[in-house]
This record gives sequence, C-alpha cells and structure tokens, in this order.
Amino acid sequence: MNATGIGAAVRRKEDQRFVTGKGHYTDDVNRPGQCHAYFLRSPHAHARIKRIETKAAAAMPGVLAVLTGVELAADKIGNLICGWMITSKDGSQMKMAAHPAIAHGKANYVGDPVAVVVAETLAQAKDAAEKVNVDYELLPALADPAKAQSEGAPQIHEIAARNTIYQWHLGEAKAVEVAFNSAKHVTKLDFINNRLVPNAIEPRAAIGEYDSGSESLTLWNTTQNPHVARLVMSAFVGLAPEHKLRVIAPDVGGGFGSKIFIYPEEVVCLWAARKVGRPVKWVAERSEAFLTDAHGRDHVTHAEMAFDAEGKATALRVKTIANLGAYMSTFSSSVPTYLYGTLLSGQYEIPAIYCEVDAVYTNTVPVDAYRGAGRPEATFVVERLIEVGAREMGIDPADLRKKNFIKNFPHQTPVIMTYDAGDYHASLKKALEVADYGGFGKRKRESARHDKLRGIGFSTYIEACGIAPSQAVGSLGCGVGLWESAEVRVNPTGTVEVLTGCHQHGQGHETTFAQVVSERLGIPLENVSVLHGDTDKVQFGMGTYGSRSGAVGISAIVKALDKIEAKAKKVAAHMLEAAEGDIVFADGKFTVAGTDKSSAWGEVALNAYTAHKFAGQELEPGLKEGAFYDPTNFTFPAGCHICEVEVDPQTGESEIVAWTAVDDFGTVINPMIVEGQVHGGIAQGVGQALLEGAVYDKDGQLVTGSLMDYCMPRAHDLPALKVEMTRTPSPSNPLGIKGCGEAGAIAAPVAVINAITDAIGSEDLAMPATAQAVWQALQKAQDRRKAA
Amino acid sequence: MPAVALTVNGKPVTGDVDPRTLLVQFLRENLRLTGTHVGCDTSQCGACVVHVDGKAVKACTVFVWQIDGANITTIEGLADPNGPLHPMQEAFREHHGLQCGYCTPGMIMTAVDMVNRKGHDLDDPTIAISAAAPATITS
Amino acid sequence: MAMTMNGQVQLSASREVVWAKLNDPEVLKSCIPGSEQFDRIAGNEFQAVATVKVGPVKARWKGKVRLSDLDPPNSYRISGEGEGGVAGFAKGGAKVSLSDKDGGTLLTYDVEAQIGGKLAQLGQRLINSAAKKTADDFFIKFAAAVTQPQ
Repeated sequence: MNATGIGAAVRRKEDQRFVTGKGHYTDDVNRPGQCHAYFLRSPHAHARIKRIETKAAAAMPGVLAVLTGVELAADKIGNLICGWMITSKDGSQMKMAAHPAIAHGKANYVGDPVAVVVAETLAQAKDAAEKVNVDYELLPALADPAKAQSEGAPQIHEIAARNTIYQWHLGEAKAVEVAFNSAKHVTKLDFINNRLVPNAIEPRAAIGEYDSGSESLTLWNTTQNPHVARLVMSAFVGLAPEHKLRVIAPDVGGGFGSKIFIYPEEVVCLWAARKVGRPVKWVAERSEAFLTDAHGRDHVTHAEMAFDAEGKATALRVKTIANLGAYMSTFSSSVPTYLYGTLLSGQYEIPAIYCEVDAVYTNTVPVDAYRGAGRPEATFVVERLIEVGAREMGIDPADLRKKNFIKNFPHQTPVIMTYDAGDYHASLKKALEVADYGGFGKRKRESARHDKLRGIGFSTYIEACGIAPSQAVGSLGCGVGLWESAEVRVNPTGTVEVLTGCHQHGQGHETTFAQVVSERLGIPLENVSVLHGDTDKVQFGMGTYGSRSGAVGISAIVKALDKIEAKAKKVAAHMLEAAEGDIVFADGKFTVAGTDKSSAWGEVALNAYTAHKFAGQELEPGLKEGAFYDPTNFTFPAGCHICEVEVDPQTGESEIVAWTAVDDFGTVINPMIVEGQVHGGIAQGVGQALLEGAVYDKDGQLVTGSLMDYCMPRAHDLPALKVEMTRTPSPSNPLGIKGCGEAGAIAAPVAVINAITDAIGSEDLAMPATAQAVWQALQKAQDRRKAA
Repeated sequence: MPAVALTVNGKPVTGDVDPRTLLVQFLRENLRLTGTHVGCDTSQCGACVVHVDGKAVKACTVFVWQIDGANITTIEGLADPNGPLHPMQEAFREHHGLQCGYCTPGMIMTAVDMVNRKGHDLDDPTIAISAAAPATITS
Repeated sequence: MAMTMNGQVQLSASREVVWAKLNDPEVLKSCIPGSEQFDRIAGNEFQAVATVKVGPVKARWKGKVRLSDLDPPNSYRISGEGEGGVAGFAKGGAKVSLSDKDGGTLLTYDVEAQIGGKLAQLGQRLINSAAKKTADDFFIKFAAAVTQPQ
C-alpha cells in the first residue's frame, strides 16, 4: 500500500471546495435568460379536477406561461414509469397506473401538481399561482395502507381493484407449514415499519434548457443517476431523443435514495423550457420536499418464527402490506419484494421461509427506496423475532444468534440469495468485547440506582449490496442492467481522468476512486481527477444507490486499469526494446524483468501519445480504456451492532448511552470515509427508531409536513459511536469490496427497539419510540402485571 | 424598492430590493455568493447560517432591509481566498466533518460563532447542545 | 385534518334582536375578521371573501357560505367551504343556538371544520388557537353590533 492507496485514511479531495463554499449544486447554477417555475399543488388527497381557470394568472406581471395537465397531454408528454415489473402469485402483472407529470383529471395525493406557472421571477410565479382557480370535486380519500384492500375503500386507480398493485410471494409455503406444525416454540409479532421522509438537506432542483439551434435539451438536476434519468425521459416520457438530451448532476447535497427517481418537476422544467424558449429553473422548498419526495418504508407486517427444542430456527413466515403511495415511483415495486423478501434469512440457517407481500395504492405521496430500501425492513423482521424469541425461550440473545448462524459458505438461502462469504461469529465476538457485554449486569444495577431502566439490544444484520448481476435482476423483472462503466483517460503528461457512471452526493468517490488509481499506477493522488454526473462526459452509467459504487463502480475502474496497464506495457516494450511479456509494472515503473532497464509511468504515457517509438500498424497511439463491469453476485456486508439505552420510567425518555458497530465490509479503501458512512447510517437508523415518522390523517393530509413537526436526529441524540471492522473480502469482485453506505441504517433501528424493549420489559412498542410511546408501553405493561 | 447598503466579506455592497427579499436571497442571487445554502423554509436546519455583525444568524429568517448597514461574513469571506483555510474549515476537513457538503458552510459558520462565544476548550455535550441552539441538523 | 371548537357568549340583547343580526349579511361582514365581501347570491347562500392568516400561512379565501336548519329565533347552522389557492382549503360549519339568559341571550356555538393543504401542513399546530382567536374577535364585534340600535 502506498500512502494514498487502498486502505489509507486519506483526507478528501472534494472537501477543499465544500469547506470554502465553492461547491456547485443545482441551485447554485444560473443560466442566461433563466426564468422560474412554481407548482400549484392539490391541497386535497383525492379530488376530481373539474376545471382549471388560468386566464387571470396568465395576465399577471412577468408571467410567461401557465400550464396544466391538459397542455401536457396535448403535447403528448408521456407518463412516468416504474422500471421493475413484479408478477403476482397468480401470474398476473403488477397494476401500474398512469402517472402524468401534471395531474390530469384527478389529483391523487396532497402535493400532486395540478398547474405550473413560469414567470420572470419566482415571486411573480408565486403571486400568479394565487390567481389560478381550480374547481375540485372532492372524493373520499384513503391514507391507511391496512385499509386499502377493504371492501368499500375508495378506489384510487381503475386498473387496480381494491387498490392492490400486486400480491407477491417468495419461498415454500408448504415446507414452512410443516415446520410450524412441529415447532417447539413459535414467536409471533405484529408491527409497522414507520413511514419516513428522506429529507436530504439539499432540496430537489432542476433547470431545463432548450437550444433551438441544435434542437437539444439540457437538464441540471439533483439526481443520483443522470443516465437513468436521461433514458427514462427519452424512451418513456419522450421529451427528446437520448442523443439530444444532456443530463448534468452537479454537486448533489445528499440523496439517500430519494434522488434516484425521475420526478414530475424535471420533466416539466424541460418541457416548459422548450415551450417558453428560455431556461426554466425550479427549486423545491422544504415544505414541497415533504409533500413530493418519495417517502420510505411504510410496511404493515405480521411475522412468525418457529424454533425447535434446541432453539434452532426451523421456519419463518411473513405477511406484509407495503404502501406504495398514489403512483408507482421509479423502482418502488422492487423495494418490498426483491430487496426485502430475499433478505429474510438474515445471518441464520433457516430451512424454510415463506413471505407474502401485497403492495397497495393510497392517497399519499409515492413511496420508494430510502437508505437500505427493503433491507432495513427485512432486518427488523428477523432481528426482532430472534430477540423476542430468545427472551421468550429464556436464552441469551447472543447465544441464540450463535446457535443459528450460518457457518459454511457459499450458503444458499431458501429465498434466492447465495451468500458468498462472511464470518458472523467473528463480528459478534468482537462486538461483545467492545461493548463489554459481560459488564452489562453491573451497568444495569448502576442505572437502577439512579432510577433508570437500562437495556441492551442486538442487531446482527445482513444486506445484499453491489447491485447487481444484470442477468439475475433481469430474470426477476428489472427493466435495466445494473452493471457499471468506467473510462480511464491517461494524459500525455501522465495525469489521469477517471470517468465513472457512479455519482457522488456525499460518498467521497473523488477521493476513494482516485486512491485505487493512485495505488495501481503508482502516481500521486493529486494527479488523478474523477469525473461523473454528466451524460455528455460519461458514456453511460447506472448511478449510485444500494451501496454499489465501491463493489460495482470501482470494479469497472479496476477492469479499465487492467486494460491501461496492458496497453502501457506494450508501449514500454517498444521503448525499452524488450518483449512485452518481459515487462513488469510496479510502483509506477515499467521494468524489463531481471534487468535495471526501466521507464517511469510519465515517460510511457508521453510515448503513448508521441508515438515515436512504435509504428501505427503495430500499436494504436494514445492511452485511454473503457470497461463495463457486470457483477457475478450480490455482495453481502454483515455485522453486529449493539445498542445500550437508559430509559427514564417517569418520562419515557430513552437515551442511547453506548453504541458498538462491528461491520464486515470486506476490503476498505478509505477507513475514515467508511466510518463516516457508518456514522451517518446509524444516525438515520436512530432517527427512524426514536424520532421520525410521517403521519397522514384519515383525510390524507400530511400532518408531519415540516421540520417543526417531523423530528430529525441531531448531534445530541447520539453518543460517541464505537465503530470497528472485521474483514472477509467478497470473492465476487476484484478488490473484495462489499459496500458500506446503508449498513448503519439497516442495522440501527432494530438494535434500538431491542434495547428499549429489554429495558422496559415489554415487547409492545412501535417506532418511533418517542418518550410518549415508551411511557405508554410502560403503563400498559404495568396494568397487565396488575391484572395478572 | 428599498435601497440597502451592507458590507459583505469586507466589501461595501448596495442594492435595490423587493421588501420581501431575504438576506440569503440577496447573498445568493444579487451577489452570487452561492456558498450559503437554503435547506428548509422554517428556520430549522441551519444550512444558511452567516455572521451578521459577528454573530451567527440564519440568513433565511431576516429580510435584507432589516439589517441595512450591517457587516456580513459568509463562508466565502471566512479565510483569505489566496491564503490557508480558516482553522475551523481545516478542522472540518481533517476530522471528516462533512459528506455532501451542502450544509457545511452553515455548520462552519455556526461552529466559528460557538468558539467565539464559548472559547476553544469545549466538551462534547456543550458542542452538541450549542450546535442544536442555532440548530444544524446532523444528516 | 379535523378541528373542533365550541363556546358560549352572553349577549346583552333579546333573542329576536340577536337572531336578526345573525341573519344580516352586513353585520356578518363587519364582524368576520378579514372579511372583504359577504354578498347574498340566493336565499340563504352568500359569496364570501376573507383574508385569514394562520401562523406562516396567509391567504385570501373565496367560497360560499350557507345558512340552513333555520329555526327562528332559536338556532341555525352556518356552513361553508373555501379554497385558499396555494394555501389550501377549509370547510366546515357551526351549529349556533340561542336561549334566554339573565335578561339577555346566551349564544352557544359548536364548530366542526376540516383544513387541508399548506394550512394543514404548516399551520396545523396553530389552527386551534387561531380559530379561537377568530371566534373571540368575531364575538367582540358581534356583541357590540347587537347592542347598537337597528
């Protein structure tokens, strides 16, 4: 390893611009002649749009256009789509309802855009929006997913009877039933995985621009995957042919999944830019973000785990209703199915698993992938059942886990996945040491002396990352391949540009990707630039989500570097007048094996371009290579998180007093950045467990619609985190990387709930476990004890 | 349109503004100082914190006419553009105190204000609570 | 989201006088805070425009107001719905009843309302106190109006 290579905690290259305010986010971009869009949104969760009167608004000062769904349809702008086809257990295809970028005929959630005003200034657009008159006919609204399939529930889309999008299943129902019939102990749980609002700190934004000379469109957009956005907007929405549409994702201020999806507003900005002949900019307000960014989670689940007399898990069955909101967002269908059901084996050898998922429409904002996406929900199911099962059977929760851990790899689970490598005992063992599990009893007694209830909770989670082998996901209904591309361009002076199809919005790719190149080519880190986020620069890419950039994106770079090295060796062979096979490349130097004849990296790069030492017929000049890398398997990061809480029984307030995270991410490129990812993930997971929860009232009004009412985690909600790692490299990619971006958010929520329920001696506790919820659970438990 | 005159990062600036123009809009749109960002519209997140007459202020909560004559420092003016980073900027970089960078200018301006008010020798609880006071969200 | 409110006001005028004022659009217009327009469009139906501010949400509301279940001079129901454009919507009604008390009239009101859009999103935690204040402001003016000579 060199000082800036793989494994070095290099300080981030991108930070210079961020700490000096020189980042370039979409809202920092201003185009000549730019005007502004403001969306008028439905205040009703479900209403027929009888008439929209726009004349008065159009006559307001500065107004350039007032557009509605009528004009959108007239211009034949296509609908937004969901790109993963799920097949129901009866063989029918999922029921995807039309999703126009501006509601046409009917508004289906509070926030559904019904008109857009384009004006010289934002203030003028807002003033004019006040003059748009919409005549609504109110329809009964449906907000509760548990009621979506009931008889008499309001029907949201014609296409989906009883609001049911699909009824999916996975596993062997028969085998599970047999196992349950002979079980010694069965643990049963009902719970809701609470609905979350992503709240990336940078609100979504878009600027659409039309160049009538070249008949091409350009979009600046807060997206995690500019190429996917371009593909959907060309092939499905039909805004422009792919080669006439450029999507630029500049610096993006956090995504957490919510910026994967293709949203109405960017479609409208492009469409309107062509209509008014000027660049059109839109920036979401936070209130708009609450109402329109795809939310996360929102599962209603019943789960049961069967154990034999030794405490070995013999079967698991799960029934979930997943709320997908008013329309199917870009990848929403895959989240409660192939990103959820396939992870229900956890770290355990469970011989039989059966999972049923009904996805439903409601009059709420669409729900899609949010940090972890399906895997936090799966982990919550498995780790709650194991923890509660241990308590019910009187077995130490760590021991019950050890008893059930998968020990041999590769391991085929009953739910599709083949775990390639892992060592679950190692991470648990290390976590028990770091958390001083042996000393917990003493600490609990100490807390009791201060009238506090202390609890400890485990989460031995697993996730499937490195998304994903294209052929495999294709067979499961995915509409795209999930490989990644890279291009390595060596300049004549030896500096290097790496172009990647991944996109960074906080992950530090400009540093970690450069570290891989620095180590491989033996050149200083500052001689490597990483370029991303522009469809005119990078040929294609699938973007960043699902903890895939390391495992898939870097693998593509490694593959391109292999080609660079091979070509450079040819150049060096000519320079050194030796056989190509005799050239050895190490530490930035090409040497003829067994001699002291060598050429430095820079000399070889220069010669590749001067092309003076070889004939063009023999070798092409230049040094630039591209690669597409398609993973051979998912990767399986796993680990053990231990949360310790103190609960004040008088107020119900829970304080997290200690946190241990031992994660196995395989090879780590930059431990500082990886630790930062773990910190962020845990903070978000703690947010879900203790603070966050999107609440719709029965009429479909979002009553947690601002940061005043929706509580995000802050610094004082977290203790100092103890983060350690174990390393079993993934055998499925060249560097052995597994991915680290979502682990914290997957592991954390259930660790917190396991800890609080341990402290209060009651399993009846929903997320978010606010002081009020915990206090009520304590009172109920007390009442039960009194009654007994 | 009220005329306003301010000193921003040591330079005098003037402008005629719509009375509803917020300080953050004036900085970003009139002066093109885009380092200061807007993260919410309810004065909660702290991404827009700048210094007004030496004190941390959320630039989304004040109209620019309210602070006519004030001395403003934004992230762009914290250190000499041709010199080394301000120690707080350097500390954020050194200790990986940022990821996407969007709210970082607000966090840094808040942190500088905290040190100005409370000195250098701060323990974790003080930092956590003080950071929550001008309120910068962690994620 | 739904909101309820109720209360009683003692007025120093006879039941008949209070009833007449309650049915007089001019009186209602002058007593409703922020009222700009209150015009009869049919028998007991009125077109109303009012500017109302709830916390951070201020809007000009346009809508229809209806009087129904009239039982002179004892009670009626006043109901309405309005669209506030960008700010959202409000709809609801109040049962208003009168009884003789202490030489004057005791007015009892029972309000049920629903709000939506930005008003519910941002103003919801303020809506109850804002509604109470609106009611208080209305009755201060109305109490004065009923004692004025006709």
